[in-house]
Amino acid sequence: MADDLDIKVKLTLYRTIAETARVPGSAEVADAAGLPESAVRAAFVRLHARRLLVPEPGDPTRIRMAPPFSGIPTPFPVEARGLRYYANCVWDAYGIPAALGADAVIPASDGFTGEPLTLQVRDGRPVPHPYVAHFAVPAARWWENILFT
Amino acid sequence: MLLFRSEETVDRWCGERRIPRRPLVTLEQLWQLAVVWYASRLTLESRRPAPDEMVEVFAGIGLTGPFWDPTSDEWNEC
Repeated sequence: MADDLDIKVKLTLYRTIAETARVPGSAEVADAAGLPESAVRAAFVRLHARRLLVPEPGDPTRIRMAPPFSGIPTPFPVEARGLRYYANCVWDAYGIPAALGADAVIPASDGFTGEPLTLQVRDGRPVPHPYVAHFAVPAARWWENILFT
Repeated sequence: MLLFRSEETVDRWCGERRIPRRPLVTLEQLWQLAVVWYASRLTLESRRPAPDEMVEVFAGIGLTGPFWDPTSDEWNEC
């Protein structure tokens, strides 16, 4: 069934990311899951339709976003488990330690001045700071241009 | 969405781009959103919250109004 296959692909993808801090392509997921690459690519399409993954523009074998993880370096690195992950935005930067169940250091910066602003998660809680996040796009439009949002 | 030191740098960022300032979210609120969205992401049960669940989650941490409603059409002209 497609649902079972999609779950297997999704779990293989996410577990590879968690272990390596890299977002694997369809061939690597196929090898790890013991599936044909064509089946993995078809699952990527269905998972994108369900708003669970975002493929790399122009290359359906690669994943740009497996939220909270980014397939490319971003201004939101997350250091956890001795690895450096990349998040898609500041919300996802907290999402990575939440997903991993791990402490994290997030060397972020002020969106206007560029001043370094380091966030931390320790013992399952964010270290308090008076910083704020600004959502420029309303919830109803987040998915219209997810690469910008 | 971006991180800022303060409301003041948010206002400067919005002013430079000539866009209205939207609601601000504290780090505690952001952490709660991250936990709801992603804490189960590596498990079999993982799924994205449905639109009505999203509204409930946002309201539960004080984020209310059409900006936080994924089914709202009040923003079509923005």
